[in-house]
Amino acid sequence: MQGPLIDTLVRQGVSRRTFLKYCATLASMMALAPSAGRAMAEAMAASKRPSVIWLPFQECTGCTESITRSHSPTLEGMIFDLVSLDYQETLMAAAGFQAEEALHNAMKENDGKYLLIVDGSIPLGLDGAYSCIGGKSNLETLKEVAKGAAAIVAMGSCASFGGIPKANPNPTGAVSVSDIIKDKPIVNIPGCPPIPVVMTGVLAHYLTFGSLPELDEKGRPKAFFGETIHDRCYRRPFYDQGKFAKTFDDEGARQGWCLFELGCKGPVTYNACATAKWNGGTSWPVESGHGCLGCSEPDFWDAGGFYKALSMPADPLKIAAAAAVAGAAVGVGLSFANRAKKSAAKTAHETTTLDDLEK
Amino acid sequence: MTIEAIPIHFIQTPSAPGLSGNAPPLLREVVELVRRLLETGESSTIDLSALPLTPADLDWLQAMLGAGEISITLQASGESTLNETACSGVWWVTHHNENGTVTAQFIEVAFVPELVKAHPQDVQIGLDYLESKLLDS
Repeated sequence: MQGPLIDTLVRQGVSRRTFLKYCATLASMMALAPSAGRAMAEAMAASKRPSVIWLPFQECTGCTESITRSHSPTLEGMIFDLVSLDYQETLMAAAGFQAEEALHNAMKENDGKYLLIVDGSIPLGLDGAYSCIGGKSNLETLKEVAKGAAAIVAMGSCASFGGIPKANPNPTGAVSVSDIIKDKPIVNIPGCPPIPVVMTGVLAHYLTFGSLPELDEKGRPKAFFGETIHDRCYRRPFYDQGKFAKTFDDEGARQGWCLFELGCKGPVTYNACATAKWNGGTSWPVESGHGCLGCSEPDFWDAGGFYKALSMPADPLKIAAAAAVAGAAVGVGLSFANRAKKSAAKTAHETTTLDDLEK
Repeated sequence: MTIEAIPIHFIQTPSAPGLSGNAPPLLREVVELVRRLLETGESSTIDLSALPLTPADLDWLQAMLGAGEISITLQASGESTLNETACSGVWWVTHHNENGTVTAQFIEVAFVPELVKAHPQDVQIGLDYLESKLLDS
């Protein structure tokens, strides 16, 4: 069980080329250089299974659904099987005292080495009484389990930023993992739900390099959150040409034009939907004709209306600047040169981010 | 009840959105990579899924590169095709998953695509097998 990954895979009837192909796809999704696929395959093939403890807190189980039902039985699912998942209340057979014992055994045996995954926010109101497991508040459990973890993965918008439980007026006093734990490396994988391949990618990175991937200022892996939905959107060329759908059923919508004016939050949302897609690569929100809701950004729920268009600056100079600085925060400055003067005037006033909309 | 009875009809959408203008610069890059392959022997890969290309752009690229003599099919957790283009040394690589969805697409500039080569460890396994067969006979 503790042998190299490739041996386990071979026993399950997975050929090396299957694994190489998988790694090439994963490297592509992680926006790594195409040659990185092979390096990743070699390193991962030789790595061993890390112990993983997964704590679900104030959540809807959507994250678990997203990850576990991604598109099994693919390699993606198998890689996930190849970690030693020692505690996950929703998935494990054990219950009650047995389950708690499994948790404490895993913590003791792998002290300082296990990976802790958290989904759901942590309520602080009424001394944490809003969400308890085995008589303990989520706050107590998190502090206890985080102590011996090598690193923490906050999965989903709730664990990363507080998510929907934190939505105004935040009745339970929900906060994120990073609001509580300050002394451990934390990776945020926001999204409502998060993209399964991001989880796999972070695990693959951990298995390959023994460390967490490079993170942005919000603690998200840059490989997946380095660019906005808008930057990677296949409809982006239509934005640049000033071709916009004005309603959900007009000619522009049928032609697959940009959904910016219908409230798409793509320009201020950092996530990998445009490249990783959903449901086994079938489609993603914009491809199905609906704008991005911005579900991987903090407080997206209170960001002022899913169908309200973002206002953007009409400064053509910013195009070059935004293109040059990868991951520039608000810098998606855009040319409205081809657009009707009326809409240009309407949208030319200010730069608006999700943060601004909250005010 | 037939589908015609439903009083809502969808209008046939155009098959593919138009060219974005992003494909020609990519072709220029392919030219550079082929030159590098010839001069230094170094192979390289362009990740097509990482670029903002419309389906029409991909069609245009494919038409420009043409079809070559070799088509390789790999059955590994879904089908992969590694097709040589009319330009020798330029391969169009498409990975599908089990459902037939395209998961990744590359243009690989190499004498032989990386995936096609056999790994020494796998060759060793084959050798062990053959030798065991010789002992049996």
